[in-house]
Amino acid sequence: MKKNIEITNTIRTLRFFANEMTQQQLAEKTGVSRQTIIAVEAGKYSPSLELAFRIADAFGVQIGEVFGYETKGENK
Amino acid sequence: MSYQEKKILTNMLSGIVVLVAYYIYAFGRYRNGLAEANDLKFWAGAMLLFIGIGVVASIIIMIIFHILYAIAIAVKQRNYDDKEINHTIEASMVEDEMDTLIGLKSSRIGFIFAGIGFVAALVSLMLGQPPFVMLNLLFFSFSIGSLAEGGFSIYYYRKGL
Repeated sequence: MKKNIEITNTIRTLRFFANEMTQQQLAEKTGVSRQTIIAVEAGKYSPSLELAFRIADAFGVQIGEVFGYETKGENK
Repeated sequence: MSYQEKKILTNMLSGIVVLVAYYIYAFGRYRNGLAEANDLKFWAGAMLLFIGIGVVASIIIMIIFHILYAIAIAVKQRNYDDKEINHTIEASMVEDEMDTLIGLKSSRIGFIFAGIGFVAALVSLMLGQPPFVMLNLLFFSFSIGSLAEGGFSIYYYRKGL
């Protein structure tokens, strides 16, 4: 049995507390496009572990403070 | 619409134009009696010609696209200095892991279309259709595969992965 999980993130909140950092600024800090940041923030794209670490590093926090997950039922 | 989506749409449009131009040229000659159904040399030559035209057109259209894209950003940011404008252009053209993943997923779908076309081409031969039908089915399916790749890329950019 495999559990369905949904990756969640607090990027919007972290951007707010980082002096309202723009998506473009975060994109530049992490070396990806703004579109990718938009997709990650909206939960439309789960980033690689490397990018996840870079995003956490951009905010100066641990990866667990940026990304989490929610269990959504079970899948066979 | 992002830079990547615009680039893919431009590529798709140039692909459609070349595909339509091929069918107008090749089937126009065929209908007017200037080419025979069994003249495989003509069909192969026409396909090679339009593959060549497609490659050249794609390069030219991409150059024009990038010039127009840069102009559009420069106009939008007319109050900024050149350095800032260059920075915006470069930042919007960054290709990252999401682009790579979308490219891989959509090209796999494109190959499915091409594969179905290949099987359909073989079936057409089995059903006694002339070889030019097979050749055109192959050409058409590869073109549709390429368009499907573009279409699915845009879909993934919009919907997410």
